[in-house]
Amino acid sequence: MDQIIQTLIIGLANGLIYALVALGYTLVYGIIELINFAHGDVFMLGSMLAYVLIAPPSSGGWGIFSIEAGTPLPQLIVQILIVLAICMVSMSTLNWFIERVAYRPLRHAPKLAPLITAIGVSFILQNVGLILGGAYQRTVDSVFPTDNLLAPLGITNIVLTASQVFVAVVTIPLLVALSWFVGKTRQGRAMRATAQDPDTAGLMGVDVNRTIAITFVIGGALAGAAGLVQILYNNYTVYTLGFRFGLNSFTAAVLGGIGNLQGAVLGALVIGEINAISDRYISPNWTQAIVFGVLIAVLVFKPTGLLGQQLADRA
Amino acid sequence: MTVQPTPSAPTLPSNLLTGSIADESILVRSRGVTKRFGGLTAVNNVDFDIPRGAIVSLIGPNGAGKTTFFNMITGSYIPTSGDITFDGTPIVRMAGKKAKSLKPHEVTKLGIGRTFQNIRLFGTMSALDNVRVGANVHLTSHWWDSIIRTPGMLREEQATIDSSMELLKLVDLDTRADTWARNLPYGDQRRLEIARALATRPKLLLLDEPTAGMNSSETRALTDFIRRLRTEFGLSVLLIEHDMRVVMGISDRVTVLDHGEVIAEGSPAEVRANPRVIEAYLGRDAAEAEAEA
Amino acid sequence: MSSATKVIGTGPGAWFGFIGSTLASYPGRYRASYHRRRRRTILLTLLVVGTLIYPIVHSVLLAGFSRNVLPLPLPDDTVMTFMTIFAIMSIGLNIVAGFAGLLDLGYVAFYAIGAYVAAFLASPHFGQFGINLVFLGHVGPGAVGIHLPFWIVAIVAIIVVATFGALLGAPTLRLRGDYLAIVTLGFGEIVPLFFKNLSSLTISFALGPLLINVSNVNLTGGVQGINPIDPPFLPILDVLFDARSGPLAVYLGMFLVTIAIVVARNLDLSRMGRAWGAIREDETAAEMMGVNTVRTKLLAFALGASFAGVAGAFQASYLGATTSDFFDFSISILVLIMVILGGIGNVWGALAGAVMLVYVDKTLLPYVSQRIGDVAPTLPNPAQYNFLIYGVLLVVMMRFRPQGFLPSRQREAELSVHGLADADAQMGVVGEFDNVGVAPPGQDETGADSRSAETPDESRHL
Repeated sequence: MDQIIQTLIIGLANGLIYALVALGYTLVYGIIELINFAHGDVFMLGSMLAYVLIAPPSSGGWGIFSIEAGTPLPQLIVQILIVLAICMVSMSTLNWFIERVAYRPLRHAPKLAPLITAIGVSFILQNVGLILGGAYQRTVDSVFPTDNLLAPLGITNIVLTASQVFVAVVTIPLLVALSWFVGKTRQGRAMRATAQDPDTAGLMGVDVNRTIAITFVIGGALAGAAGLVQILYNNYTVYTLGFRFGLNSFTAAVLGGIGNLQGAVLGALVIGEINAISDRYISPNWTQAIVFGVLIAVLVFKPTGLLGQQLADRA
Repeated sequence: MTVQPTPSAPTLPSNLLTGSIADESILVRSRGVTKRFGGLTAVNNVDFDIPRGAIVSLIGPNGAGKTTFFNMITGSYIPTSGDITFDGTPIVRMAGKKAKSLKPHEVTKLGIGRTFQNIRLFGTMSALDNVRVGANVHLTSHWWDSIIRTPGMLREEQATIDSSMELLKLVDLDTRADTWARNLPYGDQRRLEIARALATRPKLLLLDEPTAGMNSSETRALTDFIRRLRTEFGLSVLLIEHDMRVVMGISDRVTVLDHGEVIAEGSPAEVRANPRVIEAYLGRDAAEAEAEA
Repeated sequence: MSSATKVIGTGPGAWFGFIGSTLASYPGRYRASYHRRRRRTILLTLLVVGTLIYPIVHSVLLAGFSRNVLPLPLPDDTVMTFMTIFAIMSIGLNIVAGFAGLLDLGYVAFYAIGAYVAAFLASPHFGQFGINLVFLGHVGPGAVGIHLPFWIVAIVAIIVVATFGALLGAPTLRLRGDYLAIVTLGFGEIVPLFFKNLSSLTISFALGPLLINVSNVNLTGGVQGINPIDPPFLPILDVLFDARSGPLAVYLGMFLVTIAIVVARNLDLSRMGRAWGAIREDETAAEMMGVNTVRTKLLAFALGASFAGVAGAFQASYLGATTSDFFDFSISILVLIMVILGGIGNVWGALAGAVMLVYVDKTLLPYVSQRIGDVAPTLPNPAQYNFLIYGVLLVVMMRFRPQGFLPSRQREAELSVHGLADADAQMGVVGEFDNVGVAPPGQDETGADSRSAETPDESRHL
C-alpha cells in the first residue's frame, strides 16, 4: 500500500512537469491547429540552459549560479528565481522566433506542411541540444535536502522530499496564473476568440498575428520553467529528453482534450501516474509503448479526449 | 455508356402518395424523413416520392432543407428518423430508435448520381479523368489486375476511356478532354460535373441548382439537355432549383419545402397558384395580392 | 496522368517502349518534337546504362583509385545497395503519401517487420525452439532453424507487412491528417520497441487444465538481434548476394527497384491511381462518385507498406543480421524527406530523392567530415550532425518548395508556392457541403483554390 502511494507521489511530481509542457501543446493546437512537434525540444533546451547555468565548470557547465546543496535558503530561492526567469524568457523568445520564421509563412498552407516543418525544427533543436550537452546524459547534484518531510509525522514508509514540494511550488502558481490570464484578461479573450475563428476575430479588431505570437511566447515560457524544474527535480538532461517528454505531454494534452487547458493538466497528471506505475510495476522498457498505446487509443476511440473541447470548438 | 432507346415519358398517376400504385413505377420512396442537427430541425417528417422517368423539382426558400434532403438520399447524412427506398432497395431504414443508412458510395452503386451546389470537381485532374473516376464504380478489375495489367483490365481501361469520351461529347467537352477541370470556364465545369455523374450510370440524377450562375441561353441549353436525359437515357431527375422558369418549364411535379416541411406538392401550375407557396417565398402581403410566383 | 485517348500498352512492352520509342518513330510525323525527344531519350539511355555499369566500374577501377591516389566521394557497393533499399521504401511511401495523400510517420515499423520476417525465416534463430525447416534454402547439412529462399521470404514479408498495414489502417485512416500522422508515428515507435523488448519473454498462466509456462524466451533477439541471416542466393550460378559479394548485391537491389517502379507506375495509371487522386482532391465528392474511400485508402496504406517489407527483408538478408537498434523514427523521416525532396507524387522523384539523400548521408557527409577532420580536427563533424542539416532542409523545403524537385504535375498544382500565396484561407468552420472550391469564371492556373482542412470531412492534402 505504501508502495502505491509512493509511486503515486512520484507520478504526481512528474505529472506537474508534464502539465507545464502539455499546456504549450494544447495552447498552440487550440489556436492554430498545429501539433507543434518541436515543443518538447524547446523544453529540452530549457533544461539544457538551466544545466549550463547551474552546473559547475568541472561538469561542463558555466557555473554562473552555484545552486548547490548547503546554500542557505534565502540565497537559494533568489538564485532559483533568477535562473527560472532566464529560462522562461529565453525559451519564450526561442518559441516566438520559431513561430515567426517557420510557422507563420505557412499559416495558409495545407495543414500538413507546418507539421512537417515542425518535425524539421524538432531535429534542429535536438541537434543544438546535442552540441550543447553532448551525446550523453548530463547530471547535476541534488540541490535540495533529501530528508523525508513526512518523518516528523511518524510516517517512514512513504517519502516526500523537498524537491517534490519544490515542483509543486513552481508549477502550481504558473498553472493558476495561466488560467487567470486566459480566462480573465483581454489578451486571454483574444486568444480564445482567435482559437474559435481567426478570421472573424481579426475582423473584430483582434491582432491575430500578435495573439498567436503571444501564445507561443507563453508556451515557451512554460516550457522553460519546466526545464528548470526538470534539472532541479530529476537532476538530469539529455538531448533526446524532448522526444520522451514531448510524447508524454502531447499524449496528456490529447487525453485531456486537445485545446482544453484544464484537460491538459488533468491529462498530464494521469500520464504522470501511468508513467510511474508502469516504471514500477511493469518495466521501464515498456513505459513508452504504453504511453503511445494510450495516445493511439484516445485518438481512435475518443479524439475529443476526456474533457472535450473548450478553447476552440473544433475537433 | 450506350444510348438506350426509351419509351416516351410515362403518364403520372394522380394519387402518388396513397400507395395504390405498384411499386415498380416509384423510383424513390421516402417516408417520415427527419433530420435534426442538435436543436435545429432541418428536415421534418417529409414524405416524398419520385416516379420512374419523371423530372421532379424540389423548391423552397433558402435554408428550407432541400440540400439536406438531397444529402440524405445520397447517404451523406444519416436521417434522425425515416425510411428511404430506391428502386426497391432500402437506402435508409430504421433499426430500433436509430436510422441506418447505406454509405454514399454504395448509394452511387445502386444508381444515384449527383452534382453539387458549389462545383466539386477534381480540379487538378483532366476533364476526362474526372469522368473516368465516375466510371470507376462499375469496373470489375481489382487492384492486382492493375498491378500486373491483365488483358481484361486493359480492355476495361480502354472501354472507360471510350465511354467517358462519349459522355464528354454529349456535354460538348470532348475537345477539352485533357484540360484540367479547374481551368475550364464556369459553364463547362457545370456540364463536366453532370458528365461525371452520368459516368456512374445512374437511374436517378440529383442536380443541385444546375443553372446557378448561367445566363438565359445557357439555361435554355441545360434545360433541353435535362429533357434529353430523360427521353434518351430514361433517367429520372430530381432537381433543386431557384430559377422558376426552369422549374415551371421542365418539371412533371414540383414539391415545395419550407422550414424543412413539405408545404405543397403537385404540378407546376398547381404549385404556382398555391397561396402557402407564395407566402413562403414572398411573404403574406404578396400572397394576399396574389402576385406571380 | 491523363492518357488521352489511347491506353498505354501492356507492361514490359511499354517499359522498353519508353526507351526505344523515339528511335523507332517515324521522323516525318513527329518532326518538331522529334529532336527534342531524341535528345531526351538518348540522355536517358545514357543515364540508365551508366547506372547499370557503374557498380562494376567502381569496384574494378574507381575504388582503387579513390583509395590510393585521390579520395573521391564515390558511393561504394554498400552505399549503392542501400540506395536501392531506400529507393524501394521511398517509392512505397510515395504511394501512401504522394498518391493517396496519407501522411505516415511510422513507416519504419513496416521496414522492421520485413527485416524480422527475414530474420525468422532464414536464420538459425528458431532452432532454439526446436523448429527446424529447410526448404530450398542455401545452407549446409545439419542446419538449425528455418531456412527459406529469399524470394519466398520476400513474398511472406509482403503478406505479413500488408496485413499489419491493413490492421493499423482500418481503425485509423478515417482520422484527419495530423492525427493520422501521430498515430502512425506511435506505431512506428511501438513496433521496434516490441522487437527490442521481446528478448526475454516470460509468460506463465494456467488456462484450466492447461498450463502455459514460457520463461525467458528470446523471441526477437532484442538489442543483440538475430544473426546470421541467410543472404539471397542464386542456386544455378551459385551466387550469394550479401555484403561481401560486392557489386552483385547492387544488381539484385536494382532488380527489386525496377519491379517497385513498375508496380507503382501501373497503380498510378489505373483506376486506383485515379481514385487516389480523387480522394486527395475532395474525399467527400469522391465518395459520392462511387469511390469506396475507406477501402481505397486502406489499399494505398497496405500496398505502400509492403514495399517497406521487401526493403526490410532485403536489408536483413544483405547485412546478414538485424537488431532493433536499426529501426527508429529517424528512418521514417529520412524516407519522408526522400519523397518530399525528390518530388511528391512522382515515382521518379521518389527514386531520385532516395539516391540523392543516401548519397549525401552515407557518402558525401562522411567524405566532407573526413576532409575537414584532416585539415581542422576541432571543427564540428557534419556527418554527426546530419539531422541538423536535414531539419534545416525540411524547414526550407516546406517554406519554398513543398512539392519537391520533380513532383507530379497534379501535386505541383496543389502545393506550389504560387498556389499557396494566392490561396485564401477558408472562413470559419466549413460545413460538410458548404462552399468548397468554387471556380469563379475565368480563373487561371495560378489561382489555386483553397482547401484548408477545417473539418474532418474535408480532403487531406500533404
